[in-house]
Amino acid sequence: MTSPAERQPVEVVVTGMALISALGSAFNDELAAVAARLDAGEVGLVEHPPLAALPGGGLAGVVPQLDLDRFLVRRKDKKLLARPSALAVAAAGPLVAAWPGPRDELGLFLGVGREPPDDGESEATLALSAADGQLDERLLSGPGRDRYPPLLPLKTLPNMAPAHISINLGLMGENAALAGVSGASMAAMRAGVRAVAEGRAPAALVGGADARVDLGSARDRLRVGEPGAPGEGAALLLIEPRAAAEARGAKIYGVVDVLDMDRSAEAPELGAALRPLLGALGAAEAAAAVVWCLAAGRAASLGAADPGLPPMGLAVRPASAC
Amino acid sequence: MNEATGARKRVAITGIGAATPHGIGVEAAWAGVLAGVNTIGPIRRFDARSFPVRFAAEAPEPAALPEVPAAVQHILLDLKGRLAAVAAAEALAMAKLPELGERLGVCLGSEAARPDLAELATRMRSGQLPSAEELVRMSPEAPTRLVAAMAGARGPMSTVSTACTSSSQSVGEGLLRIRRGEATAMIVGGVDVLVDPIMITGFAKLGALSQRNDDPATASRPFDLHRDGFVLGEGAGFLVIEDWDFAVGRGATILAELSGFGCSCNAYRITDSPPDGRGAAQSMEAALLDARLQPEDIDYINAHGTSTPMNDSSEAAGILRALGERGGSVPTSSTKSMTGHLVAACGAVEAIFCVLATRDGRMPPTLNLAQPDPACPLAHIIGGALTAPVRHALTNAFGFGGSNGTLVISRVDAAGDRA
Repeated sequence: MTSPAERQPVEVVVTGMALISALGSAFNDELAAVAARLDAGEVGLVEHPPLAALPGGGLAGVVPQLDLDRFLVRRKDKKLLARPSALAVAAAGPLVAAWPGPRDELGLFLGVGREPPDDGESEATLALSAADGQLDERLLSGPGRDRYPPLLPLKTLPNMAPAHISINLGLMGENAALAGVSGASMAAMRAGVRAVAEGRAPAALVGGADARVDLGSARDRLRVGEPGAPGEGAALLLIEPRAAAEARGAKIYGVVDVLDMDRSAEAPELGAALRPLLGALGAAEAAAAVVWCLAAGRAASLGAADPGLPPMGLAVRPASAC
Repeated sequence: MNEATGARKRVAITGIGAATPHGIGVEAAWAGVLAGVNTIGPIRRFDARSFPVRFAAEAPEPAALPEVPAAVQHILLDLKGRLAAVAAAEALAMAKLPELGERLGVCLGSEAARPDLAELATRMRSGQLPSAEELVRMSPEAPTRLVAAMAGARGPMSTVSTACTSSSQSVGEGLLRIRRGEATAMIVGGVDVLVDPIMITGFAKLGALSQRNDDPATASRPFDLHRDGFVLGEGAGFLVIEDWDFAVGRGATILAELSGFGCSCNAYRITDSPPDGRGAAQSMEAALLDARLQPEDIDYINAHGTSTPMNDSSEAAGILRALGERGGSVPTSSTKSMTGHLVAACGAVEAIFCVLATRDGRMPPTLNLAQPDPACPLAHIIGGALTAPVRHALTNAFGFGGSNGTLVISRVDAAGDRA
């Protein structure tokens, strides 16, 4: 960490990218192939049996498999990971493994969604806590409590995804877990870019992770009228100052700049273009759009806007355009 | 940052508002913690007689609510929304901000709300699903939307959700946004309401809560040798912060300076803190560096001090690691001994206590600290409030998952201490 007097605005570059999505998991150079599939309009949605009874069918963007075990400090902790946390750790693992610097100052800025509780776990408690359909607090504190999973409150906290990245991969630097649906990872990327530019972190993982393909989340999306099929995924960027990246000979995939936006200057919400292909990625959506643009070698200004919130934006330029 | 001079924007605190177990309003909370008034008692909200933990620090129901725009009125259906509304109204009334529109932002710390248990049971029976409005109301960002609508804020808006660190980090995010020129003023803080059957059950089963059902008033005993867990509290705390020059220019009453922010992760465990306090120390060191202060400049520490065995010894180790010898002599207290743990709101409420400590030169005590744990060799404030000038105060907030946040609050006239 540099002292405030030494901090100067610097150009922030992307030296690592990860996308965990319904079209598979890919990192860095492998992502060009995923971007080509997205550019060609390939759809990763599949019939997802848990959602079959929903109006409109059970299509969802489900991540087919996760390579997780090799990144966990203790494999038995896998039971602590709700789906967004698992997706986040799977995305972060290879990027952190390739980072040669100390991890204790590596920043972590993540857009987070709701950590969906396991419906079975909580409903078993409630089922044992009701008599004649009415809640009975004595039952909740007796047989209901006996079925209550002690780790459930922790599994449902929104910041568990960055927590598991930190714990399993050793990150200790400046951090934020930002909520806010599709604007969440945009806010996280902006905060991380600023932090790296100001020297508050020598480098940072920025992006988002979300999982919305469980029945409860999918039903909630329908009720609030969110468009498109539900999806799940994680998208992360490893960002650092250009000078540092060049000094260590890192491959630079692109440059990211924070856009100062107001209501009269909204950038296109490119994340929305991913929804028909990967499903709605929620808190990972804006980061996935950034990865898509850079992997495809496209410059773009892109924004994210949640209803009722002001627009936010980033500009990305691929290395070839720098 | 001023591009020409490299000078950094200073950030003024011009409004504070709170709703805590001591009552509605900042002065009720401040008078309560200075006088050592304990708010922890038997749970009144539901029949907890058969629960393993039967006490908490419940916030009072506000007697009156401010007018809020129609689009967000439904958020007031939850106590969380009502506490947020009254605390935000107090902070805004104190700050007397002019119309700032897109130059006014909001960054709050909050968690997702949980449906009332009776409602859940009804739904089990009927298969009824929550309404769209209810889903919006339960989302973490609902208080952010409410406060933004109340203030007419159309600038940067975000919601930090890092458990017990949420509102500390929200204050820090606001500080950074003003320094970066993204906003002229920000409303920052947090709100949480967790005293419900599910959370009491969950946290008790996790072993995190004190089980002193026979004597709730002594249950929250941070840094005491016989501490056995935290006590759930609830409330809201908000600060209006703004560009220092703007505040001076408009003739605002500046309560204190928000001078530093640091945060870190522990990279350790979900519920436990590292015994060596390294993550906490890193957060405090970053905040001191950010504030351009040395350990000897700090006159008061409002500790996270949850009263859990692990947190308090880890925090003490962190304070000594970050502040060196000075760490053991800075007057330190944990107001959670009186308010319980306000979770997502604690960082902001305790930052407000630091604002008032710099204003009044008074520091609240730690209650129930009968036998200080030798593993926590700090300069505890015991037996009553301490009166002494406070140039700079430091406050910690640490969260489940291992996130840490530290804020530094400076007395209005203490800028000259900073390099």
